[in-house]
Amino acid sequence: MSLKAVHLVFVTALSALCAGLAVWKLVDFFRPTGQAGDLALGVVGLLCAAGVVVYGRYFLKKLKSVGYL
Amino acid sequence: MDIPYTVQPRPDTGVYNAKVGMWLFLASEVMLFGGLFSAYILLRVAAPEGTWPHGWLSIPLGTLNTLILALSAVTVLLAWAACKARMFDRYKFFQGITLLLGVIFLGIKGYEYHDKLTHYTVVLKDGRIADGHWVSATPSEVVLKGEFVAERSELADRRGRAKAHEEIRLARDQVQKMQVYGPAYNTYLALYFTMTGLHGLHVLGGLVVFAFLWGPGSRLWKTDPDRFTNRVEVAGLFWHFVDLVWIFLFPVLYLT
Amino acid sequence: MQATSPAIPASTHHPAHHPETGFWRTYIFSTDHKVIGIQYGITALCFLFFGFLLMLMMRWQIAHPGEPVPIVGPLLAAVLGDVAARGVMSPDLYNSFGAMHGTIMVFLGVVPLAVGAYGNYLVPLQIGANDMAFPRLNMMSYQLYFLGGIVMLTSFFIPGGAAQAGWTSYSPLATAIPTDGQTFWLIGMVFLITSSLLGSVNLITTIIQLRAPGLTWMRLPFFVWAQFTASFLLLLAFPPLETAGILQLMDKLAGTSFFLPTGLAIGGKLADISGGGSPLLWQHLFWFLAHPEVYVLILPAMGIIGEIIANNTRKPLWGYKSLVFSVLMIGFISFLVWAHHMYLTGMGTRISAFFQTTTMIISIPSVIILTALLISLWGGSIRFNTPMLFALAFLPMFGIGGLTGLPLGFSASDIHLHDTYYVIGHFHYVVAPGTIFALFAGIYYWFPKITGRRMNEYWGKVHFWGSLLFMNLIFMPMFVQGLAGMLRRMSDGGLQYSAAKVPGVAGALSGPILGLNNFILWAAAGLAIAQIPFIINFFWSIAKGQPVRSDNPWEATTLEWQTPTPPPHGNFLKPPQVYRGPYEYSLPGYDKDYVPQNQPPG
Repeated sequence: MSLKAVHLVFVTALSALCAGLAVWKLVDFFRPTGQAGDLALGVVGLLCAAGVVVYGRYFLKKLKSVGYL
Repeated sequence: MDIPYTVQPRPDTGVYNAKVGMWLFLASEVMLFGGLFSAYILLRVAAPEGTWPHGWLSIPLGTLNTLILALSAVTVLLAWAACKARMFDRYKFFQGITLLLGVIFLGIKGYEYHDKLTHYTVVLKDGRIADGHWVSATPSEVVLKGEFVAERSELADRRGRAKAHEEIRLARDQVQKMQVYGPAYNTYLALYFTMTGLHGLHVLGGLVVFAFLWGPGSRLWKTDPDRFTNRVEVAGLFWHFVDLVWIFLFPVLYLT
Repeated sequence: MQATSPAIPASTHHPAHHPETGFWRTYIFSTDHKVIGIQYGITALCFLFFGFLLMLMMRWQIAHPGEPVPIVGPLLAAVLGDVAARGVMSPDLYNSFGAMHGTIMVFLGVVPLAVGAYGNYLVPLQIGANDMAFPRLNMMSYQLYFLGGIVMLTSFFIPGGAAQAGWTSYSPLATAIPTDGQTFWLIGMVFLITSSLLGSVNLITTIIQLRAPGLTWMRLPFFVWAQFTASFLLLLAFPPLETAGILQLMDKLAGTSFFLPTGLAIGGKLADISGGGSPLLWQHLFWFLAHPEVYVLILPAMGIIGEIIANNTRKPLWGYKSLVFSVLMIGFISFLVWAHHMYLTGMGTRISAFFQTTTMIISIPSVIILTALLISLWGGSIRFNTPMLFALAFLPMFGIGGLTGLPLGFSASDIHLHDTYYVIGHFHYVVAPGTIFALFAGIYYWFPKITGRRMNEYWGKVHFWGSLLFMNLIFMPMFVQGLAGMLRRMSDGGLQYSAAKVPGVAGALSGPILGLNNFILWAAAGLAIAQIPFIINFFWSIAKGQPVRSDNPWEATTLEWQTPTPPPHGNFLKPPQVYRGPYEYSLPGYDKDYVPQNQPPG
């Protein structure tokens, strides 16, 4: 497996982590003990997850167009 | 005497030697961290109800570190792509960024360690327990910034708890036991320091290799760019593994 | 293509483009796999001898507790001080020697010899490569091994002496002993583990990447397959022990409690620790390495035996494919049997049931290998030279070792036998007359390739018969002692449980059972004497042995014999091309009874 394949695996794991963090913190927020900090982190996690997925799609597309990699 | 397949892949296996070596090494690394994670699971499952600490680490700092490592994974890939495209300046730029990000990661980690190693729990002779960060100490008294608690168990779960900032003055002759938040404090901190410490050593090792490939090692570019590109790729594989370990460490230590 | 040429000193064979190097680069900091292999071999043989000497002293203490050790007693007292006052071995010293005997034999003796020396020297030759894939890494592996050995040896001389908690180093005992021996042991182990990891990465990469053209997987000699699997075991099983070592080091130095339970009392006082650790965790992590490690000890030995049997029966190995798949299967299942060392820990009957099942399953491929090697003898015109004698003795000896292991694999019978001399007898039959006989066989067999001279046959046979006799006289009585309930690791040899000390107690050790201690002592002394012909023969033959008349004195088929003798730096005069399987002996239609792997068809 080459570096690009590993990079894809890594991006997938990272997006799973970010999404997991978002779900976790948002669930915490909607509990009675929820705090503003939970909401903030949840939103950050969500944004990160979205960002990572977008990057992953961009990377895949780029791979197809770049022959030398 | 030349050893074959150091640069070009062997046709029937499709890889060059160093890549096989790195993958085998990573397999053993998986087992190394696998052992640590099994230890974590076993010790955590065996811990009595309500004693496992929660919210002892700063999630914003952890998240920041996660993002820094993620970004460095991207730059290390770009550095390799630049080598492949024969753009040496671009390689230097991205590899430099990777180095910088790695150093920042270690810096933040160091700050977190410092925060823990200046944090004390003091058991007083009258049974009260003080918990806070070290401010100053004289031969007769210790000054902490923190709070008093009645029971140790109150300290276990700190999620959603506001930071106490009251200054506590403790006479030395009243102190029964003073414990720093180091590895010996409890099993959780022992695991935290050992796991992140070992991971930090891997980060440091990766940075040493990157520094070499960025500095003196990059002379190889002039004589054998293909071989140099392979080195960058293999170092990148290792770096991705280190990042991946962090992606497991972060939820296990910070979030749960 | 016949590379056969009269034996000429290596220097005349140097390829022109190879620059001359000085003494240090040629012999000490060499990157040549053959020099490194020899370095491994000599170091490991020294450690084997040292480990054996430790055991000789311990056998004296077991047979004559409290009496000064003869011959070396004054030396012990002078070098080690109070722990050996008047030359008498104290219980602490006995424990140190016991722990270090196990550690040295396994991690510094047999594994470096079987994998480090044989693997390094022979695998590149047998696959037709000019060196290992990473020569500088190879040099580093040896140096780390050497450093680890130095650390282990140094620990004898620090205050309090070497580690005392057995080679298994169970916590909390290992952590609770207040001396620094265990810390040295752990640091030494980190060196040794790193060395094995680098070595196995190197060996596997070499086998995958550097096979000669035409040398497909199913044309690899059985020995290469055995080394390949053993290296994978080292690669994947050692890291968890490294983890465990780091955690125990933290327990020892940083005051953590990974393996120390809540409420642990040391010397009647509650220990000042945070607690919450698990002693079982250490045992799991340790045996996750240490069971595959057992197969690291035996697989290369089986590989050596396979080569020698094929060569000396002058016919192909019977069931090459089943041998290969059995080796791979052993490698795989060996990761699933570790907890059969832990039946007594009370980890639960369901877990025990699982590990009993896997333990029975792993005996199947072992039996297949032994059977295939045995059937290989059938109908062969066997040449009874020294290597073949050792190889033939390996079969029944390993058989005894393996079969006596079955009662230990069942939890019901293991409860009686656990930690008795029965266990000692069992695994020593596997490792001593098993693996070490194979290693001896290999030394006699490949000596002509390495030095260009043969070892003396007569003294080789004396060495063989003496070793075979005394090995059995040592280990056979241990089964009897163990069945009678005599525990291992007792510095008084079981005296405190003898019928004389505790009269009328059921299960007390009888006089004859304890008397066997003395019998074993003299058998061990006999074994030591039986090694003298080997040591003299070894050194004498390097200088004065009968020179070989061809590069292939045993008329073997595999590639290591198709090089000049001894092989120069870079090994082959021209890169070999392989056309056939590894054991084409007695092929009809050829004028010779062997066809080398690199001989073109037709």
